[in-house]
Amino acid sequence: MIKVAQISKSYQRKLVLDNISLEVPKGQIFGLLGPNGAGKTTLIRMLNQMLSPDAGQIYFEDQLLNEKHLQQIGYLPEERGLYKTMEVRAHLLFLAQLRGLSKQEASRHVDHWLVHFEIQDWKNKRIAALSKGMAQKVQFIAALVHQPKLLILDEPLSGFDPLNVELIMNEIKALKEKGTTIILSTHNMKSVDEICDHAALLHQGQLLALDSVIKLRQAHAKGRIFVRFKGNMLSFANALWTDFTLLEQKESTEGVFECILQLRGTSTVNDLMRSLQAQVAVEHLELLLPSMQEIFIDLITQKDKQHD
Amino acid sequence: MTKFLLLTKRELTERLSQKGFWYMLVLGPLVLLLSLFAILKAADQGKQELKVLIADPGQIMGHRLMAQVEKNVHYYFLDDYLEIKEFDKAKAYQEFDVLVELNEKVLNNKKCFVFYRDQLSPDIRIQLKFQVEKRMEELIAAQHSSLTEAAFRQIKQGFIFDFRDIKDPKNEAKEANAWAGFVIGSFILFFVGLYGMTIFRATVREKSNRIVEVLLASIRPEQLMLSKIVGIGMVALLQLLGWALILTLGLLFLQQTVFLDIFDPSNWGQATPQRLNPLSSLVFEQLNLSFLFIHFLLFFIASFLFYGALFAVLGARSGADADGQQFLLPLIFLVAFGIFAGIYAVYYPNTTLSAVLSYLPFSSPVLAFITLAKGASIVDYTTILLSLLVLLACALILLKLAGRWYKQSILKF
Repeated sequence: MIKVAQISKSYQRKLVLDNISLEVPKGQIFGLLGPNGAGKTTLIRMLNQMLSPDAGQIYFEDQLLNEKHLQQIGYLPEERGLYKTMEVRAHLLFLAQLRGLSKQEASRHVDHWLVHFEIQDWKNKRIAALSKGMAQKVQFIAALVHQPKLLILDEPLSGFDPLNVELIMNEIKALKEKGTTIILSTHNMKSVDEICDHAALLHQGQLLALDSVIKLRQAHAKGRIFVRFKGNMLSFANALWTDFTLLEQKESTEGVFECILQLRGTSTVNDLMRSLQAQVAVEHLELLLPSMQEIFIDLITQKDKQHD
Repeated sequence: MTKFLLLTKRELTERLSQKGFWYMLVLGPLVLLLSLFAILKAADQGKQELKVLIADPGQIMGHRLMAQVEKNVHYYFLDDYLEIKEFDKAKAYQEFDVLVELNEKVLNNKKCFVFYRDQLSPDIRIQLKFQVEKRMEELIAAQHSSLTEAAFRQIKQGFIFDFRDIKDPKNEAKEANAWAGFVIGSFILFFVGLYGMTIFRATVREKSNRIVEVLLASIRPEQLMLSKIVGIGMVALLQLLGWALILTLGLLFLQQTVFLDIFDPSNWGQATPQRLNPLSSLVFEQLNLSFLFIHFLLFFIASFLFYGALFAVLGARSGADADGQQFLLPLIFLVAFGIFAGIYAVYYPNTTLSAVLSYLPFSSPVLAFITLAKGASIVDYTTILLSLLVLLACALILLKLAGRWYKQSILKF
């Protein structure tokens, strides 16, 4: 859907994007991650053609990105605003028409989304009269009212209460089901774990990681294993011997223990299963994958250490 | 183009929906009319007692006047040429307040000069004109014996009476007209400054509430800036047209009720105390208001584009309203510069500096109106058109440059 090829960008001699290449697969949710100042917003602005790269190209469906593609892109910026004096429906109509819809189309789409988000009773209210959450919903509608093929969401969950977070998350998933490609820039790593198919991690203008979320998690697995068993804790500990380290343990119900182990040396999960079989009754065993948050922190910390 | 129109329409409708626009539309011209009325009334000088010397070397008038002569004006005849300087300086003529100069060709060219020591009241002007004109008509009608005097008056061409200050016989200063032009020109800068501030504030607001990021995902920054200038410019223009309409109606009302037409004989001898004074004569007779209005619109549009681009760039460069105030100062100085340049040009109209200022985009609107109000010659008018073209060209160049500056600044938070 989107191909970013070797793009670089500097502001006043400061390199904010350094030879970045990535691809966003069609119909998937792509997490664009990174700490503040990593270059995410610059990249997003380039996708929206607000900025031009100093070097490199961006392709939209195999065509060099151009002004025509803007109608197929929806954008919810992190710092978002609305005209406070305008009424909700009029504002949405205005933004939908700016995205290329005719007045009739815009009217139909706006009414659909107002009903969908249950804010049709507010359509004639001024934006200034809305609560923050309500205004966020209006902004979210504004980003997708023209049914874009690509939806770029920059921190879409910030400012929402948990109920509305759930609502927006479900909406993002539903949009994906309908074939919309979504770029999600967020610091909410739980949402990345939950809904992103692919992710890219930017730091100081460089690409630190890029892959599907599951591959990223597998690649950064640290050999930690979760085990739930029925039996004696002493027998379990003896079975571990020197090849495994017991990190955490707790008795979940009487005689049933849950533990987290760390593989050591060249030992494998199979070695562990063989060691435990004779000692305890294993109910559940799982290789623990790191969360995106852990990967995020690890990669950034490593990079900063290298830099120091 | 559709997006541009959409944004322009939004700017226009937002401002038209504000109560302030409508208050200003009505109150502005009313306050102006009231001020004008007060000034005109205050300037009413009433009647004067004075002596008029008619220099008539061809003895065209034959020492005769029309029967109806007001007692406070005394006419004397001189059957010879009289130099203006002599009338001004010679002791023998110091007792006369006015010199009416009739050369031998007056019956053909229908123009005569009236030189005065002190400003003449309209009563006197009416009388002088009446006395000379009617006598001339009598003579011309007599030359064409086939016509009766009444028939002649129906087909006659009016005489031109050029009233001039004896201290400025070539009428170079035309100071009252110049000041009127200055006021009109300054009015352009006032409106441009007022609505330029609206552009500035609207840009700052869009930037600070971050909607600009949503807008720029659909439209180029240059288009956004231009749509703002055009949209707000249209609001300003609408307001101006509203003002013009109300002022025109107000002036017509004043002319019909308070300041009667001085050259309409049916108004003579009325018992009413309302009489024209030099200022009302300036407003109602000497200034070609419709001509000035067309030029006002042209200069206003060009100036608005020029200053609007500057205000928009400043708005884009400002992070918040408070920061922006500092950026505004230099621009306010530039607007003030135009007004000061106008004052200079009223006093020193023929200097090189005035010529230079008439082409500078910051001052040309004011200087153009000073010249226009004084009555521009063909050369003057060419200069004015040229200065309008320079202003327009500068506005277009500045819009192009401002588009780039705006683009660079608008996304820097």
